[in-house]
Amino acid sequence: MDKNIKILVVDDFSTMRRIIKNLLRDLGFTNTEEADDGLTALPMLQSGSFELLVTDWNMPGMQGIDLLKAVRADEKLASLPVLMVTAEQKKEQIVEAAQAGVNGYIVKPFTAQTLEEKLKKIFERLES
Amino acid sequence: MTENTIINEDNIARVRDLLVSLENGDEAGAKEVIDELASVRETNLYQEVGKLTRELHDAIGAFGMDDRITDIAENDIPDARQRLNYVITKTDDAANRTLTAVEESIPLCEQMEQRSKELMDGWQKFTNREMTVDDFRDMSKGMDDYFTSQSDSFTQVKAHLNNILMAQDFQDLTGQIIKRVINLVAEVEGNLVNLIKIAGLPEHVEPHKKSTVELEGPIVPGVDSGDTVSGQDEVDDLLSSLGF
Repeated sequence: MDKNIKILVVDDFSTMRRIIKNLLRDLGFTNTEEADDGLTALPMLQSGSFELLVTDWNMPGMQGIDLLKAVRADEKLASLPVLMVTAEQKKEQIVEAAQAGVNGYIVKPFTAQTLEEKLKKIFERLES
Repeated sequence: MTENTIINEDNIARVRDLLVSLENGDEAGAKEVIDELASVRETNLYQEVGKLTRELHDAIGAFGMDDRITDIAENDIPDARQRLNYVITKTDDAANRTLTAVEESIPLCEQMEQRSKELMDGWQKFTNREMTVDDFRDMSKGMDDYFTSQSDSFTQVKAHLNNILMAQDFQDLTGQIIKRVINLVAEVEGNLVNLIKIAGLPEHVEPHKKSTVELEGPIVPGVDSGDTVSGQDEVDDLLSSLGF
C-alpha cells in the first residue's frame, strides 16, 4: 500500500473531515486534502492527481452519490477508487452506491479499524 | 324544540285572522298578519344562530388551549429553534476543541516515542559495551535533554487531556435543552390531537408516500426507517451478496 498517495476527503461537516484526516494520518496517509461537497470536490479531482476519494453521501450542493456517478462518467477519473463514509443505512441506497461503482461503503459511526480494513481491501483489489 | 315549531295555537290564530282579512278585502289587516308571521320566523332564526355561536365559543373554550397555542406559535417554537441551534453550536465547539487537543497531543507523543527509541538504542550499545567514551558523553547529554523535554511534553499533554475533559460539558447543557424541546413537541402533539378531535377529521387518512430517493440520515433506535442495515457487518454482508 503506497502511503504517499493523494487523498481527497469530502464531507460537509468540518469535524468529520478532521476525524477522517486524523485517522488517515494515523494509518500513515499524510497527503490529504478536503472539500465540503461534491461541487467543490469535482473540479479538485479533475485538476489534481488524486488517487483515492473518501466521500460522505448527504451533503448540500452535490451529494456523494452524484459525485460518484460524475467520477465514473469522467473519462480521466473513471477508475479512481471511491470509499463512501455515510450515515445512510438503507439497503436500497447501499445497492445504489454499489451499482454506481463504489469501491467501499462504511456506515457512521465507524471505527479506525473499519477504515483501515476497507482501505486495505480497496488497495488489494487494485493491485490484483 | 317545541318553541321553534310553527304549528302552534298562536300561528293557527294568526292564519285564521289572515283568512278573515283577505275574505273581507282588508288589505292593511292582511299585511299586518303576514309581517307578524315573518317576524316570528326571523326571531327563531336569530335564536338558532345565537345558539350555534355559543356552542362554537364553548367548544373553543373547552379546547381550553387557545391562549397557550398562540403562545407556543409566537414564542416557544422560535425559542426551540434557537435552542436547537445552540445545541449545534455547542456540540460543534466541543468536537473542535477535542480535535485540536488531540491534534496537538499526537506530535508530542510521537516525539517522545521517537526519542525513547533513540535512547534505548544507545543504552543497548552501552550495556553491550559497544560504546566509546565520546558516544557515552553524547548519550548522557541526550538523556538530560530527554528528561527535561519529556517533563514539558507530559505537562502539555496533561493540559490537552484536561481540555478534552472540559469540552465534554456540552453533554449536560445540550441534554437539558433537548429535553425541553422534546416536552414542547409532546405538548404541540397533544394539542394537534385535540384539534383533530374537535374538527372531526376522518380517522383514516391515506399515508403520505415517501419518495424513494429521500435520504434518511442516521438510524435512531426505536424509529422505523424502513429497510435498513444495522451496522457495518450487515453492509459488508449485503455488498458481498451482490458480488463485492
